[in-house]
Amino acid sequence: MDMSQYKNLFLSESREYLRAISEQVVTLEQSPTEKGAIDSLFRGAHSLKGMAASMEFGDVVTVAHGMEDLMVRVREGGLPFDAGVADLLLEGVDLIDLLLNDVEADRETTPPPGDYAQRLAEYTPSPQGKKQEAAQPVAPPAQIAAEPEKAQEPTGEASGTVRVKTELLDHLINLTGELVTNKHRLLNIGRELESPALNDAVSETAKLLRALHDEVMKVRLMPFEAICDRFQRSVRTLAKKSGKDLQFELEGRDIGLDRGTLEQLVDPLNHLLRNAVDHGMEQGAERVAAGKPPKGVVRLSVSRDRDRILITVRDDGRGMDPRQMIEAAVRKGVITPEEGEVLSPRQALMLVCIPGFSTAKTVTDVSGRGVGMDAVNAAIQKLGGSLVIDSEPGQGSTFTLRLPMTVAIIHALMVQCGKVKSAVPVTAVHRTVELNRRQVETVGKRQMFQLDGEAVPLLSLNRILGLPLGRFPSGILPLFVTEAKGRRVGIVVDRLLGQHELFVKPLGRPLSKIAGLAGGATLGDGEIVTILDMADLL
Amino acid sequence: MASTVMIVDDSLFMRKMLRDILEEEGYRIAAEASDGEEAVARYKEFRPDLTTLDIVMPNKTGIEALQEIMAFDPAARVVMCSAIGQESLTQAAAQAGAKAFILKPFNPELVARVLKEAAEG
Repeated sequence: MDMSQYKNLFLSESREYLRAISEQVVTLEQSPTEKGAIDSLFRGAHSLKGMAASMEFGDVVTVAHGMEDLMVRVREGGLPFDAGVADLLLEGVDLIDLLLNDVEADRETTPPPGDYAQRLAEYTPSPQGKKQEAAQPVAPPAQIAAEPEKAQEPTGEASGTVRVKTELLDHLINLTGELVTNKHRLLNIGRELESPALNDAVSETAKLLRALHDEVMKVRLMPFEAICDRFQRSVRTLAKKSGKDLQFELEGRDIGLDRGTLEQLVDPLNHLLRNAVDHGMEQGAERVAAGKPPKGVVRLSVSRDRDRILITVRDDGRGMDPRQMIEAAVRKGVITPEEGEVLSPRQALMLVCIPGFSTAKTVTDVSGRGVGMDAVNAAIQKLGGSLVIDSEPGQGSTFTLRLPMTVAIIHALMVQCGKVKSAVPVTAVHRTVELNRRQVETVGKRQMFQLDGEAVPLLSLNRILGLPLGRFPSGILPLFVTEAKGRRVGIVVDRLLGQHELFVKPLGRPLSKIAGLAGGATLGDGEIVTILDMADLL
Repeated sequence: MASTVMIVDDSLFMRKMLRDILEEEGYRIAAEASDGEEAVARYKEFRPDLTTLDIVMPNKTGIEALQEIMAFDPAARVVMCSAIGQESLTQAAAQAGAKAFILKPFNPELVARVLKEAAEG
């Protein structure tokens, strides 16, 4: 029987099992007697072994078999599921993962270290119930409360489903995007020709296209779960390394995100979690001295708010003090004392996103020097999202990411400034206002207007873009309200042109280097518009 | 007319392999199921001539599913799939009414022969 035809299926299903095993290991560290997770872990190793045996990948069989036997001892032999068992299983997951990479690349597999099977077979919990190797710090493991009632495991797929390559999904969304652009072209032609028949056909096509777009987007959605296990693993490892006792909570793992967005979230979220464990969280003694429970909580939660995804990373650690942040920034020459004085607390917290700024007193090998928050912020903005930091000294910090559902096809507010048409993603627009000139107040050098009882500064997009200023003979100033560094701002334009559906294309060099540009798009009449990244522009 | 078969295994990989082997042999795959509970429900729905049943599965093991299928249809022809080292389980399955056993990893000729015997015997 020619087994090569099953290789891809073998790889993808094996990786699903590995992912599930990692998750169940951390679940079991939280509740070591959770029967569902024990059974499911055993089944995962068993299935991996069976598949690998069919493919005749002996090295994978050896490791999976060892893991299965260890789980049999836990299941039937009364071996407690302790940190040592967890470590061995996770080691096995890593070993198999490497072997699968070899298989995928059609390389000879590198045999797993000979002592792994032996260590599995000979494993006995040490009397203290701690890990055996004395060289390792005996920090308590991070306990992971990952909705233990739902022991996740891949159930294979129902018959009637197929697996497709991710590039294919990318092609689909690109084609759909080009179709959207062409639809607008047809709409324009229909208008010029004044042909009711053509208009009918185009509006029917538009409806179908809408449906196609929705379906393609659905296909591209992947549950947040797909990247969760990495976070559980890294938080666990970090907590161990830094000797902190903490609980990691995950919420919203079934929320669907565009796979493009999901992939780009791994690094930023890992960084935020690392910061939370390494910088945010205090040592147990420090917590107790501050009257807090010794065990800290780090929480990653994902939710959906209409067409936006909300992701928060929250810790109940030492928090950040805005005043200290300003002092540090002034000391380091990142800002002037005068600039420091006018910063709101929220703006002060955002100072961590300035390259080179760090509040950590010591440098650790865990999260490095605070480098990276600027990269985190940049990555989120690139996804069309925003980052807001809230923190209370002594109580902890919350990093909130707001992301659009998709980055490929967006709705944008089209605005005109002079002869230039630009697009602003509607996710960045709070509202539009037509302001009577008389309502503009001048405070010092700044122009402000009242919005919901708050004085909101006014800026001119013409001025920002270096264009001649608008005249507004009617006395009405068209503007949209957006947010910059935690504050609302009114952006005055010459004209608000309305909403438009755009297929975003990334800009190539050298345009991609220009601050404030998020991408470009072609309108139906062939006109090219730039999509503005307001947060970056202001 | 070709005999109909239902394939039950929690691994998509295993189901696909078995499906290919059996289709090659001229069987018609009436249904697939990926856990014990689904197996019982699908059996009642499709009444296949033959059923291959994996033992280690979520939501009811193969043995539990076998017991329910046999209780529903004492004439059911069920072949258990098991791995080496599960001898104690195969005994329980034989008592519960399994007609035959096939060992993983599958050997296509052996699978074909065992199923043929189970269908006829």
